[in-house]
Amino acid sequence: MIRALILALALATGLAGPAFAHKLKVFAAVEGDAVAGYAFFIGGGRAMGTSWTAKDGAGKVIATGNTDGEGRFRLVPPEPVTSDITVTVDTHEGHIASATVAADRFGTAAQDAETPPTTAPARSSTSPAAPQAAPAASATADVVADAKVQALVEAAVQRQVEPLLERIEQMDDRLRFTDILSGIFLIIGLVGIGLWARARRN
Amino acid sequence: MAHIPDGILSAPVLIGGAIIAAGGVGLGLKRLDDRAIPRAGILAAAFFAGSLIAVPVGPSSVHLLLSGLMGILLGFGTFPAMAVALLLQALLFGFGGLTTLGVNIVNIALPGVVLGLLFGPTIRSPPSASLRTGLAAAVGALSVLGTGGLVALSLALSSPDYAPVASVLLATYIPLAIGEAFITSVVVAFLARVSPDALRPVLS
Repeated sequence: MIRALILALALATGLAGPAFAHKLKVFAAVEGDAVAGYAFFIGGGRAMGTSWTAKDGAGKVIATGNTDGEGRFRLVPPEPVTSDITVTVDTHEGHIASATVAADRFGTAAQDAETPPTTAPARSSTSPAAPQAAPAASATADVVADAKVQALVEAAVQRQVEPLLERIEQMDDRLRFTDILSGIFLIIGLVGIGLWARARRN
Repeated sequence: MAHIPDGILSAPVLIGGAIIAAGGVGLGLKRLDDRAIPRAGILAAAFFAGSLIAVPVGPSSVHLLLSGLMGILLGFGTFPAMAVALLLQALLFGFGGLTTLGVNIVNIALPGVVLGLLFGPTIRSPPSASLRTGLAAAVGALSVLGTGGLVALSLALSSPDYAPVASVLLATYIPLAIGEAFITSVVVAFLARVSPDALRPVLS
C-alpha cells in the first residue's frame, strides 16, 4: 500500500516537468486560399497517417485525406467559401477531434483579392468617357497598389499570428501540476469522508 | 482511446453505459469497508495520475489503465474508484466527456472487475508464486484488451462512421497490454512478498 502511494506521488511529481497527456486536438488555420493545420496529442506526439475529413456548414464533405508524417493536412476549399469549414480527424481507435475555420476568416482574404481587380476595370472602362482621364488612371493605380499592400499585410500578419494561435491552442489544454495535485487531494478527502461516514454509522 | 469524448456516442449507448455504471458504483460502494476505502483511494489516485502520462504508439498514444490491478485488489470497489478518477479527469483536463462518463467507467472498469473476480481467488492463494505472477500478467493484459473491445463496441454501436479499424486497434492496444501485464504482475508479486494482507481480504 505504501509502495502504491509512493508510486502515485512519483507519477504525480514526474508530471511537474513537461506534462504528458492524452487527448487529440486539431489545429486549423487559413493559409492563402487553403485550410492547413495538423492533429496532435496534447503534451506530445502528432497523429500521423490518420484520416481526415473536411465538411462545410451543411455537412457536405468537401475533401478527405490522410495526415502526413507530421500529422499535417491541407486542403483548398472550392470557391467561394460561404460557410464554416470543419476538419475532423479520426485515428480509427477511439480518438476523434475536429476544428472549425470560420467562413469570415476566409471571406476577407478572398474578397480583398477579388474586389479590387473587378472595380479597377470598371473604372478604366468609364474613364475614356470622362473628360479628365489622367486623375482617374492614377486613382486606379492607387487602388491596385492598395490591394497589393493589403494582401501583403494580410499574409504577413497571418504568418506572424499563426505560431501564437498554435501556442494558445496548446496552452489552453495544458496539464497543470496544481490541477493534478488538487485531484489527488480531492481523492484523499473523499477517502476521509467515506471513513468518517462509516465510523459514524457504526 | 479509452476516454471517449462528448458528442460521438448515440443516446442509447450513453444511457445504457450510465445505467450499468450506476449499478456498478452502487454495488461497489456497498461493499467498501474500512480497510478497502483507503485502498480504493490510493488506487484511484494512482490511476488518476498514471493515466495522464501518455506514450505515443503508432498513430495514437496510449496510457496505463491499471484496471486489472484494481480488479484484483478491489473487486467491485473498482467502479467507485474509477468513477471518481474519471470524473476528475473530465472536469480538470477534459479527458473524456461528462455525458460519456458512464460509458467510460464501464469500458475501463468492467473488464478489470470481471477478470479480478475470475482469477482473484487463485491469485490470492496460488499453488506456486510463478503461477500468481503469470495470472496477474494475464489479468493486466486481458483487461486492456477487454477495454479496447468495449470502446470499439461503443463506437460501432453509435455510428458506423466512427467504427474503429481492427488493425489500428490491435497495433495500439497490444503494446499497452504488454506494458500493463508487466506492471500488474510486478505490483502483485511485490505485494504478495511484502504484505500478503494487502491481497487477502476479499472485497468482491
